Amino acid sequence: MSKSKSKEIIKEFEPELLVFCCNWCSYAGADLAGVSRFQYPPNIRIIRVMCSGRVDPSFVLKALKDGADGVLISGCHIGDCHYISGNEYTRDRFDRLHSIIIQQLGIDPKRVRLEWVSASEGKRFAEVITEFTNEIKELGPLKLQ
Amino acid sequence: MDKVYQPNLRELLKKCYQCARCTGVCQISKVQYFRPSRIIQQILEGFEEKVLQSGVLWDCLMCNSCLQNCPEEINFADIVRNAKHLMVHKYGQNPEECVAHKGIYTSISELMSKLEVNPKRDLSWIPKDCEIAKEGKILYHVGCTPFFKFEFDELENVPISTLRILSKIENEPIVVLEDEYCCGHDLYWGQGKMEEFIALAKKNMKNFERSGISTIITTCAEGYRTFKIEYPKIFEDFNQKFEVKHIIEYVYEQWKAGRITFKIDEKTKEKINFTFHDPCRMSRFLPKSNTIMQKTREIFLQLEHLGYKFTEMEHNQENALCCGVSSWMNCNERSKALRYKRLSEAKVAGDTMVTSCPKCILHFNCLQNDYDEFSALKILDFTEFIINLVQITQKKKIKGDEQ
Repeated sequence: MSKSKSKEIIKEFEPELLVFCCNWCSYAGADLAGVSRFQYPPNIRIIRVMCSGRVDPSFVLKALKDGADGVLISGCHIGDCHYISGNEYTRDRFDRLHSIIIQQLGIDPKRVRLEWVSASEGKRFAEVITEFTNEIKELGPLKLQ
Repeated sequence: MDKVYQPNLRELLKKCYQCARCTGVCQISKVQYFRPSRIIQQILEGFEEKVLQSGVLWDCLMCNSCLQNCPEEINFADIVRNAKHLMVHKYGQNPEECVAHKGIYTSISELMSKLEVNPKRDLSWIPKDCEIAKEGKILYHVGCTPFFKFEFDELENVPISTLRILSKIENEPIVVLEDEYCCGHDLYWGQGKMEEFIALAKKNMKNFERSGISTIITTCAEGYRTFKIEYPKIFEDFNQKFEVKHIIEYVYEQWKAGRITFKIDEKTKEKINFTFHDPCRMSRFLPKSNTIMQKTREIFLQLEHLGYKFTEMEHNQENALCCGVSSWMNCNERSKALRYKRLSEAKVAGDTMVTSCPKCILHFNCLQNDYDEFSALKILDFTEFIINLVQITQKKKIKGDEQ
């Protein structure tokens, strides 16, 4: 009895979010957010990739399958890519991932998100994460695992 | 669940007397080191653990050529399927390293198998002149083709032409479900994921029962076999409740019943030499009592009266060569070699290759992009090929006439 009671007390849902950050912009942006001590929710786990173009759609699907409540892909602004056009590929691929796979699967498209954050936008990184976490909190858990 | 999953491999292989015909006909053995007879002997000698640990069985094509020629009828592909389950659960191997397209499509199936996921399919592809319903007698199981649009656009016409044929013939609207699930074939054969397969089967069953259907029609060889052979193993009353038909069978039956004929449009005078690629799931993988291959040939013979010319490839029907990949496993240079062999045969036999498996079409199209010598060959699905030839003999009943 006491166990179930204590479970009821800790009821607020804390989402587990996966964030893919590109090495040159977004990861540096996250770094800057930390150095400048901008506060953002601790629900995210960052995976650093060399370019947002490295993020294969299957990574997103696997993350959702293995229990992530939301996935954020973050890269350099269009035109700023360290590898010239990597993020353009990400953008195109992401559109198709959204319209063909995520929507048809009946998963809320808000759970998968693409954002551009540059190295100087520490503040923006914190804002994006806060907003994303709040959005997923509203949607509730995906409960796939 | 126990019926689908029988883990004692040695018991199943006991009859083998090492005639090695399986190795002789094994399609993958022509392009890489893979010897089914040796593997069987190793397991019989007590090295089962070693074989499973080595992961060699992930290379099996699961094309069933070996069963076709085995005098003792040892179902090697089925044993590999069971072994794959063991390799994942007992030896902790990760099939994802072998999965083609980085596992996007199998992930989709796996996501669908979870209880909380209810697909909301985009039905905007349905042509305006076709009527669909949520409940009715005949269900068209579209399958995974709409998801393939993520990387391929060759298959867009397959569901459209199927639905056109169906609604041309039938008086009532065809059932196309918005929340249709994957049949689970790829997880079942490719990765040995029985639990997910059974979860999908249960979800599908619920859907079928809810929509009150009695006939399930597919265009996909894999889906056809899964519904026809595997589902009755899980649900005992599946065969009493539903009838599973491939679109070829359906067209054949309607033709024999005199409801349709094949006519050529006067305007289109191009008459073609064509050939047919038998997908493994619709030839070797079916019980011998299934006559779908003969039915296909009968339809093609009828087309010869229209001036079409049907030629068999060198390897045909049960002996058909493989397209190189099954259930999204192991797409590499070796599967490309197998595909090259098949298309070379097709090129000799005709200008158009008809097949009835959407994945075969994808695989062959992929090779066509790499080799110019095959670019003239046209690869069509059966429905795309036949849609303009099907003519209704009896006019549809119009509701006003009945009164």
